[in-house]
Amino acid sequence: MKYSIEVTALTVFAGATRLMGPVSFQLQPGGTLVVMGETGAGKSLIAQAILGTLPSALRAEGEIKVNDRRVDQLPHVERAKLWGSEIATLPQEPWRALAPLMRSFAQVKEAHRFVAKRQAHEATQATKKAFEALSLKGAEKRLPGALSGGMAQRVAFAAATAANAPILLADEPTKGLDAERHSKVIDLLAEVPQGGGTLLAITHEVSVARRLGGNMLVLRDGELLEQGQTSSILDAPSDRYTQSLLNADPQNWPVSAPSHIGKMILDVKNLSVTRGNKRIFEGFNLELHAGEKVALTGPSGIGKTTLLDAMAGLLKPESGAVARDGSLAKHSIQKLYQDPPAAFPNRVRLAHVLQDVARRHKTEWSEVLQTLEQLAIHPSLLERRPDEVSGGELQRISIARALTVRPKIIFADEPTSRLDPITQRETLAMLARVADENQIAIVLVTHDKNIAQKWADRAVSLM
Amino acid sequence: MERANTLSATIMPPSPAKRRPAQMLGYAMMAGLAIAALGGPALIGADPAKQSLLATLQSPSIAHPLGTDHLGRDMAARLLSGAQLSLSLAFLSVITAGLPGAILGVLAAWFGGWTDRILGAFADAVLALPGLLLVLMLAAISPGSWWALYAGISLTLWVEYFRYTRQRARISLAEPSVEASRMLGLGPWLLVRRHVIPEIGPGLLTIAAFGAATAVTSVAALGFVSVGIRPPTAEWGVMMTELLPYWREAPFLILQPVACLVITVLALHLSVGGLRRL
Amino acid sequence: MTDFFKSVFAVLAARGLQAVIVAIIVGIVSFAMMHALPGDAAYRIAAGRYGYDMMDAAAAEAVRLELGLDNPWMVQLWDWLGQLAQFDLGNSLVYGTPVVDEIATQLGYSLLLAGGAVVASLIIALPIGIATGLAPNGLLDRVTLGLSVFLRAVPAFALGIVLVLIFAVQLKLFPVAGFRGLENLILPSFTLGIGLAAVSNRVVRDAVVDAMNSDWQMFARTKGLSARLTLTRHVLRNASLPVVTYVGVQLAYLIEGVVIVETVFAWPGIGHALVHAIFGRDIAMVQGTALTLGLLYVALNLCVDLACRGIDPRERV
Repeated sequence: MKYSIEVTALTVFAGATRLMGPVSFQLQPGGTLVVMGETGAGKSLIAQAILGTLPSALRAEGEIKVNDRRVDQLPHVERAKLWGSEIATLPQEPWRALAPLMRSFAQVKEAHRFVAKRQAHEATQATKKAFEALSLKGAEKRLPGALSGGMAQRVAFAAATAANAPILLADEPTKGLDAERHSKVIDLLAEVPQGGGTLLAITHEVSVARRLGGNMLVLRDGELLEQGQTSSILDAPSDRYTQSLLNADPQNWPVSAPSHIGKMILDVKNLSVTRGNKRIFEGFNLELHAGEKVALTGPSGIGKTTLLDAMAGLLKPESGAVARDGSLAKHSIQKLYQDPPAAFPNRVRLAHVLQDVARRHKTEWSEVLQTLEQLAIHPSLLERRPDEVSGGELQRISIARALTVRPKIIFADEPTSRLDPITQRETLAMLARVADENQIAIVLVTHDKNIAQKWADRAVSLM
Repeated sequence: MERANTLSATIMPPSPAKRRPAQMLGYAMMAGLAIAALGGPALIGADPAKQSLLATLQSPSIAHPLGTDHLGRDMAARLLSGAQLSLSLAFLSVITAGLPGAILGVLAAWFGGWTDRILGAFADAVLALPGLLLVLMLAAISPGSWWALYAGISLTLWVEYFRYTRQRARISLAEPSVEASRMLGLGPWLLVRRHVIPEIGPGLLTIAAFGAATAVTSVAALGFVSVGIRPPTAEWGVMMTELLPYWREAPFLILQPVACLVITVLALHLSVGGLRRL
Repeated sequence: MTDFFKSVFAVLAARGLQAVIVAIIVGIVSFAMMHALPGDAAYRIAAGRYGYDMMDAAAAEAVRLELGLDNPWMVQLWDWLGQLAQFDLGNSLVYGTPVVDEIATQLGYSLLLAGGAVVASLIIALPIGIATGLAPNGLLDRVTLGLSVFLRAVPAFALGIVLVLIFAVQLKLFPVAGFRGLENLILPSFTLGIGLAAVSNRVVRDAVVDAMNSDWQMFARTKGLSARLTLTRHVLRNASLPVVTYVGVQLAYLIEGVVIVETVFAWPGIGHALVHAIFGRDIAMVQGTALTLGLLYVALNLCVDLACRGIDPRERV
């Protein structure tokens, strides 16, 4: 039997510490392998070990064969010869993977010219064809910085596959792309095995795994938890962690119980917002009631954050009005941010941050500690700086910080989009609970329609 | 992301630890220089101005640990006196330039608008000429005066603090965390103290050390080309000019002020991590 | 393409403004110098014009009237700057020759020295920086770091003294000072060039390290380009951007160095003339030479700006 990739007992070490493995798998031409797990599971190490690009401080053990040839013992120079010609690699963040000073056409053309070793004019022809096939017309002269995420990923795809390598490694190929562009990239990947190629895809998203099918590995903290057919694992996982990973997919969330809704506390009427000289919204209306959970959805770049800021009174709308109920105090509106570390002063211990706020609003410190306990934050974490706790913990601490002010409304701007699925689910569940207990209204901005439907009392779509 | 986390957590030693030995050396050298500058010629009980035409260009001896110059003056006393002059001027000009520079930088970033534009234009005007050229011309208004040097150096150094503080404070103040703190009701002082000061502190220290080195070098350079401090004052640059003609008889003499200058600049650079700031 | 011209125009406008500011500052400071000097300015100018032998109270009075030295100082300053705006630099108070003529001969020498210094620094910094950048934390890297830290601490004139003592006086390889031929260029160029290279070799090194650690470098490799092609087609170009930008930062050091190093080596350039003029209170010469050096600084900055625009086609905000 001829395998494209055959991995036996691959284990990655940092010094004496085992970071990942052992894992074994075989992939035939036309086959697909999905490696799934959360951040820190060691997924990328598998791809790096196959390519031979592990950081020099790491060491791989076990056997790796590419197209029936053992490669793990080869010197670096020999392994590099496989790149592009036998193994193509799709990068994680395409924007950062394309050379910033070279126009996209040239970046693809140089692969045709030097990797596929075509004559200059043939390379130009082949590149033109690739740009047409990937509907990249018009992007030829653009620099990577001027490409959208989806376009950048397709340019990277065209460059990586220029020499028709039979194997494609894709490491989180959908990172940073929103739902629509997402599915286009997945379609592109799904075509690889159909054309007789071999696909190894790394992802943390259940939906991506389901779409690609084939076989699957589930990793957690470097341990292999499950291995088998993708569809059967996703339908009937045998491991508890896999199950919770599946449950964490917003599609599988249960619909939350309706909130106890009180009187109207914020009345947004006919709001129009401009950014630069571009009008973003016109005539937006929203009636927000105490204790209510509202989701705002829409594709990225449509200006959800700007709208949120206008409702929070952070920027002046062009026209329309935001009427606050008389019962709202000056600081009754609070905000949660997409990137938790950016919402805290970087070099100050978290205890100082919370104490500043508690002192300002004469909130007892014991009350703050109680809120932290409800959010499952151990007080010892407060001795750290923001960059020394995980994103999920930090977002919960920022919820606790907001609660210290006793707010009536919380505007949450994609607060969990940078968190792992399980953490995302826990965080949003806790947010809903504390909001319910304190009769706080929440406006959640999200690009995920499933979250909007399952989590909120009502969803407002901005299209 | 993944790779970075695993690596930094498990293998990579934190980089500051690597610099420690060099930085410690810098601190030690700084301490030595501080003692020399504070004590001055009194440390060895010799008079830097006392001439002795019978004992010129002498090699080191017990009476004159570093020898004597062409007028028979004690080299050690003159070097200590020079250290006093250079370091006090450097220290004062760093304070004079640093405090207003940093405060105005924060104000420009905070208020923006015209405050920012006017202060920025003033800074750009100072930067329009290379620093030493400006110091040279200002020193020429009142040749040989300590005050002209001090004012000129402070005026040129001021801009660096200002520009650095303004830029960093502008970035810090634009972060979501500042908006969050505002919404949480924190006042201007807490915003600056929590968000801006911790961000600019370490950088300011580095600028101060490099600025002090620039000041010491400028004083010596101007003294050397005879447009700064005037003889007979014991100033390192002046001493180099005076001793240069005697390099053949006593090469060790001319090298002494050169070494003092290099050691001082090196100490200042090392104490903030050598070449970290370029 | 219009965006490109727009950005070039913005650069030209900004540097043009800087040139005007340079002229105003130099004018004001020279004016202040004129009035700060002890004694009567009218006498001094008259002496500059007619020589000390030919000068008397009547000549001084004539000068006073002609130049309006009795006017309020604001008016005088305005006249002073007005003359500068017409590129009237006047005559040297010491030699009596037009300042412009003096500068015309000196400028060439200064440009030669500045050019020599930049070339010397590139000869040193580029190979070392690229080599250490490709093998960071290796032996060469650590040795050059130590050397760079040390040499950075040696001021240009001190380095000049040491180089003269070693190479000119002891080894007699190069002439000590003055200008008789190109062999005179070597020592002053390397004095300045070593100072520049002490920092710029680390800038090159860091830029190469950054480029080599970048995601795009990795992707260029995994898409199949060889290490050599990746280096020549991507790494060097991207790494050159911070390096060229840094050359802009070093221009101040270069101009300052020219002033001091010319004096050390008695190089017949503008910097030497400036120091000489300050020493001799020749205010017209001070003004002329300082202005020329300032404008040279602006012109070199302009070149660096345009080079950056050429390397980096990205639009700027």
